Amino acid sequence: MQQKNLSIMHPRPSSIVAALYTLRDLNVEVAILHGPPGCSFKHARLLEEDGIRVVTTALDENGFVFGGHDRLVDMLQKVEERFSPKRIGVVGTCVSMIIGEELHEAVMEANLDAPVIEVEVHAGYNDNTKGVLFALESALDVGIIDRQEFERQQHLLNEATNVEKKYGAASKEYLEPSRGDVKYTVAKRVIEMLKAGKKGICILNAKKETAYMFADITVALQEVAEKLGVEDNIVNFANLDTGLGLPRVRQHAEHILADMHDNVKIDEIIGGLDEYPIAGQQVRQLIEAKYKDFDFAVIAGVPHAIPMESLEGMELISITNGPRQVHPLKDMGHEHVLVEIDLHPKTLGVTNIVESEFGATVRQLAREE
Amino acid sequence: MNPQKRIAIYGKGGIGKSSTASNVAAACADEGYNVMIIGCDPKSDSSITLLGGKRIPTILDLLREGMEIEEEGDVVFEGYKAVKCVEVGGPEPGIGCAGRGIIVAIQKLKKISQSMKEMDLIIYDVPGDIVCGGFVAPIRKGLVNEAYVLTSGEYMPLYAANNICKGLSRINTKLSGVICNSRSVSREKEIVSKFANEIGSELVAFIPKEQIVQDCERDGYSVLEKAGGTDIAEVYRALARNIMSSDCAVDPRALTDERLRELTR
Repeated sequence: MQQKNLSIMHPRPSSIVAALYTLRDLNVEVAILHGPPGCSFKHARLLEEDGIRVVTTALDENGFVFGGHDRLVDMLQKVEERFSPKRIGVVGTCVSMIIGEELHEAVMEANLDAPVIEVEVHAGYNDNTKGVLFALESALDVGIIDRQEFERQQHLLNEATNVEKKYGAASKEYLEPSRGDVKYTVAKRVIEMLKAGKKGICILNAKKETAYMFADITVALQEVAEKLGVEDNIVNFANLDTGLGLPRVRQHAEHILADMHDNVKIDEIIGGLDEYPIAGQQVRQLIEAKYKDFDFAVIAGVPHAIPMESLEGMELISITNGPRQVHPLKDMGHEHVLVEIDLHPKTLGVTNIVESEFGATVRQLAREE
Repeated sequence: MNPQKRIAIYGKGGIGKSSTASNVAAACADEGYNVMIIGCDPKSDSSITLLGGKRIPTILDLLREGMEIEEEGDVVFEGYKAVKCVEVGGPEPGIGCAGRGIIVAIQKLKKISQSMKEMDLIIYDVPGDIVCGGFVAPIRKGLVNEAYVLTSGEYMPLYAANNICKGLSRINTKLSGVICNSRSVSREKEIVSKFANEIGSELVAFIPKEQIVQDCERDGYSVLEKAGGTDIAEVYRALARNIMSSDCAVDPRALTDERLRELTR
C-alpha cells in the first residue's frame, strides 16, 4: 500500500478535456460528450476552432435521474447522419460515470460504420493524463494505434506527470498565479547580452500545438541576432522531430519547420512535440558535449522539464504559458520568467507560426537600437 | 474443465441473500471447487460467516483512505476451505453514493485481481434491488454472466424479484433460476414456483425457515461448517450442485403488477 500524493488546492486540468485533446490528436472528426450541456464548454469550443466537432448529449436533471442511454444512441446516429465522420469519439463526464452509464452498450446499439473510440472518463483524477491514457487504451482496442505507440505514449505520460509533480503546477498545494516579469525589461537584457557578444542557446521544448507560438521566440531571436551581426553566437534546439507522435502531432512539427523555412536553422532536434517531458535529457547531453561555455539560455514551452544541472552557469530566460508556472520556475533558479497569456486559444486551428508577445517585444527593441 | 461460473444473487433487502450466498460458497468449497465470494453490500455481511465472525477491511475502506491497494493481504482474504472473500463496502448511511462505490470498487478489483481468473465459481452478493446504475456494475463491467433471484412467497420480496427481472432484461442478462428463502407463509412454495414459471424460469431451491441458520450466523459460521449434518445443510448442497451444473438460463419476462397481486392473494 502506498499513500497518495499531496492534494492540490487550485483547480487542475480536467481529464475529460485531456481525453478530448487526445481524440483530436488521433484525428477523430466528431467527439460526443455524454453529459450535461455545459461540461467542458470552453475547451469544446476551442477544439472546434481546431477542426474537430464536439457535441453533447446535453443530459439534464431528468437524464441524471433516469439515465441517458437513449440520448446517447440518438446522438451517435445523428452524428453519423449529419457529419458522416470517418472516426468518432465518445467521452464520459462526471455525471454519466457516477450514474453508471455504459458507453459501450450505446455504441453497440447505434451500430455505426465508423469506428468509435469510447473513453470512460470523469474529471476526478489528480493526474489529468489519465484522460489521455484512457483514450489511448480505447484507440488501441479499436486498432487505431499499435501497441508500440501506445507504450511510447504511456511512458511519455508518466514522465509528464512526474515533471508536473516535481517542478510544475502540481508541485505545491497552492500556487499563486503570476504574469511573470515584464517582457520589455527581459527583452532589453537579451539584446544587451547579444550586443556584449555573449553566447546563447535557444531551446524550444514545447507541448504539441503550443509550439506554434513558442517557435516564434526562436525566430525572433534569430532575426535580432542577425541584425546585430551575432547570429553565430546563437544555437537553436527544438523538439520538432517530424517522425514521432500521433498523426496530428507530427503534422505540427512539419508545419512549423516549413514556416521557419530558410530563416532559421535548427542545430539540434531534441525529440518530437510530444516528447517535451523527456527532451531535457537530450538537452543535457548536448550541452555537456558541445555547449558548456554558453552564457545564457532562452527556453520556451516547458522550461521546467529541462534539468537545472545542465544549465549551470547560464543566465536563464524562460517563457511559459502557465501563470502558475512562474513561481516554480523562479524557485528552480530561472532569473527571468515570462508568461505568454492566452497562448493556447491562439494556437488552436493554425498551421503557421503565431507571433508571441516576447518575440514582438524583442523585435521592436532591436528596431529601436 | 468447466468454464468459470460468475453469478450474482439479487433480491429484496433482508431476504437472506448473504446467508444463501455464503452457504452456497461453503458447499461448493466442500466439493473441492475454487470459490470466491464478493460482497457488494455496505453491511459487508457476505463473508463474515466464512471467516468465523471476523470482519475484513473493504475495498472502499482502503480507497477512502487513499491507499494504492493490492490484491493479496489487502482485500482478498481466505476463509472456510480456502474460499476467497472480498467485501466492497460502502459509504456511511446517508452520505455519498453507494452505487458509484460499487462501480469504483468493481473496476479496481477487476484491475488488481489475478486470483479471480483461477476460480471455478465467483458469487457476487449484490445489494437489494436493482435501484440504479451502480448496482448492476458487476454485470455491466462484464464480470457476471448469470443471475439468480432470491425471494420468499410474500408480496414485497416478489415485487422486488419481479422488478429485478425487468432490470435484467434491460441489461440483457439471463436468469438462471429463482430461489425461495422461506418465511413460512402459506402456499409459499406454490406461489414462488408459479412466479418462477410465469417469468419463464424455474424454482431451483426451496430453503425452509429454520432456526439453525440464524444460530450459525450469530456464531459467525456457515451452516455447512457448524451444522453440516443437518437437513438444511443438504438443501444448500443441492442448490450448490444445481448452480454448478446449470446451463439453462432464460430472458425473464416480468409480470404485470396486477398479475403479481393475483399470485399472492
